[in-house]
Amino acid sequence: MSNSIFDAKNVNFAYLGKYSALRNVDINIERGQKISVIGANGSGKSTLLHMLDGLIFPDEGTVKAFGRELAEDAFNDEDFSKDFRKKVGLVFQNPDIQLFCPTVREDIFFGPLQLGMEKKEIKKRFEELITILGLGNLLERAPHQLSIGEKRKVAIASTLIIEPEVLILDEPTAGLDPLTTRHIIDLLVQENASGRTIITSTHDLHIVEEISDIVYVFSQEKKIVKAGHPGVILQDAALLHVNNLTHIHAHSHNGKIHIHPHSH
Amino acid sequence: MGALSFLKESIFADEYAARKGFLQSLDPRIKTATFFLFIILILFIKDIFTLLCLYVFCLFLTKRSDISLGFFLKRTWIFIPLFSLFIAIPALFSVFTPGEALAGFNLMGVKLVITYQGVFSAALFVIRVITSVSFVVLLSITTRHFELLRVLRIFKVPQVFVMTTGMCYRYIYLFVEIVENTYVAIKSRTGTKIHYKKGQHIVAWNIAYLWMRSYRLNEEVYSAMLSRGYRGDPVTFNEFRAGIKDWFWLLFSAAVFVVLFYFNLQIKN
Repeated sequence: MSNSIFDAKNVNFAYLGKYSALRNVDINIERGQKISVIGANGSGKSTLLHMLDGLIFPDEGTVKAFGRELAEDAFNDEDFSKDFRKKVGLVFQNPDIQLFCPTVREDIFFGPLQLGMEKKEIKKRFEELITILGLGNLLERAPHQLSIGEKRKVAIASTLIIEPEVLILDEPTAGLDPLTTRHIIDLLVQENASGRTIITSTHDLHIVEEISDIVYVFSQEKKIVKAGHPGVILQDAALLHVNNLTHIHAHSHNGKIHIHPHSH
Repeated sequence: MGALSFLKESIFADEYAARKGFLQSLDPRIKTATFFLFIILILFIKDIFTLLCLYVFCLFLTKRSDISLGFFLKRTWIFIPLFSLFIAIPALFSVFTPGEALAGFNLMGVKLVITYQGVFSAALFVIRVITSVSFVVLLSITTRHFELLRVLRIFKVPQVFVMTTGMCYRYIYLFVEIVENTYVAIKSRTGTKIHYKKGQHIVAWNIAYLWMRSYRLNEEVYSAMLSRGYRGDPVTFNEFRAGIKDWFWLLFSAAVFVVLFYFNLQIKN
């Protein structure tokens, strides 16, 4: 059995046919890997993740998932669509988009109910997840009443309850406090250890090493400019600087000015 | 800003629905069905005293549900009954309701006569409106909005309609917040006084911006639904459970309905 989950070749995509978002992208993701996609805002990370989740399709080139090409026609096939949605879960960058149900409980139940999972099984997974993520006291609250960290956790729960083989996360730690960031990173590492493939987009370089086996760097030209081991990528100061992932920062110690690259 | 806060407070506050009062403890399906019975009854009853009794009963339920009477009266008397008063005033006069004269006066040379029948129909109309509005408001503030939506589903309202309504409710909050933030941002840059032409320009720009946001949001939310397996026919859980108290309440309400309905028929005859 092939270990490849996603295989994208020479992918090009433009919004409304004129605003280029991906250029000549090649990417291969194998089962159980931790993948990070890093790049500045507007470099095409989210577009790639949406494409891997079968929400948009390439203008040129191909994206294959589990050996089958992702195209609009493929999702008209109910069996394939259901199978794919069970296998791949996406946590959106903006939780206000992902959480559209009246309560947290209903939002977490939404995915598995649509996918026809057994109600007993859903309830069992639900109980486990709310314990792991500490959501017990939020279940009857409306998603709009939650803090950004709580929303992010609920969004992750609403995807994890499907128990997807591949978990895709679009900037899961953006705007979070350090403790919540830590909880989410620990959770991702744990999920990967249990065999799940994790694909994360971020520009938070502090978390990259922990959540990546391979890092793909996107440039402002919407291209992948480098791919490799996080140790190698994070050492390449010039690459990070050119692609707006670090900036030159000046501060003073005992009256002496220090200038060095700085990342967030 | 005041209007936005009022909107947020009146539509999105779940505070009263979360209290541990009598109505909050009832099964939402049975509560909705019985309130529906009461509203039908109010529409049929032609006796002011019976209507007043139902109104007092509604206020009693309000108190038993841990809701302050002051808040409830303000909430129910502010808008709708005021309008109904405007509609009812012409009915007082002999021009619209001929009958036995009660009082008369001259207004700019025109003689206006208030009739007994006019006073009766105006009072009946106002009491009917306030009683039915009170029951509807009481139902809505003692039931969480998502439970009301689930009840609609149980009463066979199509799922797509229920879900769309729920999402509208959910996203109105987001838009109210956007409007609020935009207003604060404008105020922080322009101060409180701006020329009315500039004001018009800002309002028009805001409407356009909000429209574009809602259009984009619509696409994005749909993507999020597809991503979680939605294929055009949403599936939801229904987890209501009725207890003995609910069945007693149903029996009591049905008995009130039958007795008052019969009593009303007797009056008619």
